[in-house]
Amino acid sequence: MSTLKTFLLRVAASLLFLAVPVLGVWTFVTAEANGWWFPLNVSSYGGEIDYLFDLILWMVAITFVLTEGALVWLVWRFSRPDSSRAVFSHGSHKLEMIWTAVPALLLVFIAFSQMEAWSKVKIAMPDGTRPDEPYTVEKPLAEVYASQFDWRFRYPDAEGNFEGADVVESAYDFYVPVNTKVLVRLRSRDVLHSFFIPQFRLKQDAVPGMEIPVWFKAEETGSYELICAELCGWGHYKMAGKIHVLPEDEYEAWLANARTALYSNGSED
Amino acid sequence: MSRNLVTAGVAAALFAGCSFEPEQPVLEHEPNAKAIAENVDLANSPTAQDQLAGALEMLFGTPEHPGYMRLESWIEEEYDPNQGSWNLSDEEFDALKASNRAAFAKQIAAIEAGDLDAVARPRYAPDLWRRYEALVAEAPDDLNATYADTEGTWRDELVYLFEGYYPSLTATAEFYRQQCNHCHGPSGGGDGSTAPYLNPRPRDYRPGIFKFTALANKARPRHGDLMRILEEGIYMTAMPSFRRFSDAQLHGLADYVELLAKRGETEILLALDYAADEGFGGLEKVQETYEFVLDRWEKAADNVIVYDGEVPAATPERLAAGQRLFLGAEGEGANCVSCHGPTGIGDGPSAREVDPETGLERYVKDEWGNEIRPRNLARGIYRFGRRPIDLYRRIYAGINGTPMPEHFGMQIIEADGSKRALDEDDIWNLVHYVRSLGERPLEVARHDTSGNEEHAEGH
Repeated sequence: MSTLKTFLLRVAASLLFLAVPVLGVWTFVTAEANGWWFPLNVSSYGGEIDYLFDLILWMVAITFVLTEGALVWLVWRFSRPDSSRAVFSHGSHKLEMIWTAVPALLLVFIAFSQMEAWSKVKIAMPDGTRPDEPYTVEKPLAEVYASQFDWRFRYPDAEGNFEGADVVESAYDFYVPVNTKVLVRLRSRDVLHSFFIPQFRLKQDAVPGMEIPVWFKAEETGSYELICAELCGWGHYKMAGKIHVLPEDEYEAWLANARTALYSNGSED
Repeated sequence: MSRNLVTAGVAAALFAGCSFEPEQPVLEHEPNAKAIAENVDLANSPTAQDQLAGALEMLFGTPEHPGYMRLESWIEEEYDPNQGSWNLSDEEFDALKASNRAAFAKQIAAIEAGDLDAVARPRYAPDLWRRYEALVAEAPDDLNATYADTEGTWRDELVYLFEGYYPSLTATAEFYRQQCNHCHGPSGGGDGSTAPYLNPRPRDYRPGIFKFTALANKARPRHGDLMRILEEGIYMTAMPSFRRFSDAQLHGLADYVELLAKRGETEILLALDYAADEGFGGLEKVQETYEFVLDRWEKAADNVIVYDGEVPAATPERLAAGQRLFLGAEGEGANCVSCHGPTGIGDGPSAREVDPETGLERYVKDEWGNEIRPRNLARGIYRFGRRPIDLYRRIYAGINGTPMPEHFGMQIIEADGSKRALDEDDIWNLVHYVRSLGERPLEVARHDTSGNEEHAEGH
């Protein structure tokens, strides 16, 4: 092979491997401008989830760039025609210690940094499930019932009873007050579903036979998508809902209106 | 070298196969096998079956191009059943406009800003886009110029196109194929590919019978009844709420379901009327059947059940009276106990029968030939609405196509032995009693064993 051809091949191979980290990093750098990034966060704890995501993303990004850089350099360096033959070597305690200990330390670091967020979102329910939290919510605002393939929202009657005749039921549309800690009781009537509101950074599986408490505090009014994030059958793709965050007074008015509508005499149908 | 060529060829073939919009097979209407089998003459004549399919295509079009045939008199009267939007009330039209405004917010904002290049093609509504493109082709540079057909400007006219969008039957047929076909089937026979796996089975529209309406006298459903099913879904069945679509899309679906139901009814009636020597009785007879079917749907609105007054409160007296009616046998009370059982859990003796073919006991069958269980009232879960008025309507008019009969006006015997017809007040008593079964199932069960001894001895 001519020297020029070898040189061009080496350049092409190195550039090919270089394209991976360059394109990968470019995707992330331009993601926000292209609308590929996360939807707006509107929940009280969403910021902590995003912080954890960013933390892990940075750790992964640095490792990725360094590894890819090393790979490109090796491709370039050892494709030289005059480079020495590969040498077989077996075992290096030093190297093994490093590549075991460094990831292990990173994992321990991640495990400790996420504990506060996990406890806040999944353990410290606002009804005082964890004793050192002040009791801010006495009862669930609503029961979220997942079934193949829709969401139903059941609001208790004035006494907080979910069994009574005055329970308000809503299909698809879930109304909640803004700036209020909302506790919901998540249930499923058939298979596994997952209650996922991207704008709240909230995702929780619904398990048949279990009543799982879920809480959130939405800080901005608006309507957000609610989707099922657990493949639950052939109609999974159509299992959607909408969560409407309303000002406190509008929420109260909606609920009062829905209660009155229960006792309609049918003239508006 | 040849190996590289093969690799390149495979890669090219793979890329070529990756189409973002795969071609869909063209849907075709399927004949109603059950209706045809019931008429021996028709079942034996493939020619007549072809004629029937041809007549239906003439009257209702194909799944690709659906549409009602307009009779000459309709054209004179300017009546057109293909224009679903003509039937909307003012409030419905306002709601439709608000919903379209949200659905086409980007397009409308672009038009209002005068930037027509920024108007993106909506993800659905191909008919709307065609009309829009045709209109834009004629639009002057200055959108503030007066539009000839109206008093407003061109800008208003373009906005109105989006705001007042109501899908054509053809556009809806495509939407039906995407969302409904896999359960309800191309002709609405409830025989789509997922149907065998569902319980209860998807509705077969073809007999024109719909279980859940606000109507009495087994009337055909109104547009509003179908809309409510699309919006709320049917609880604890595979029919979900379709609220994630715009009002316009749902109105279109309701119109299309109506078309399929009318087509199915016409098919059944024509199949029934066919005789070997007379055929289908000529074009006139076919048109007569067509008009008869459409007319029956027109009259639906006269049958809405509305209670004149406020929903009465559930007093202990009403609950006691309701329980008496619930447990009373035929001719004495409302006879609910015969199917729903003394505790309302759906274990009454009339709910089951012996299958003549197998000799085994099973639940009785409904209009569509599926076994049907009486509702377990102790669970407090109702298929279609838990408002008192919803239960009132179920009891008042029964449930179409099922063994649940109409109760209004049936004969009952008072505690003092006098006979009278079951009236609206009695229905409220029943509604409250039935609701009490669902609210506190345990208490009622206890209550029932004590109150039911007499009843049990009577058997």
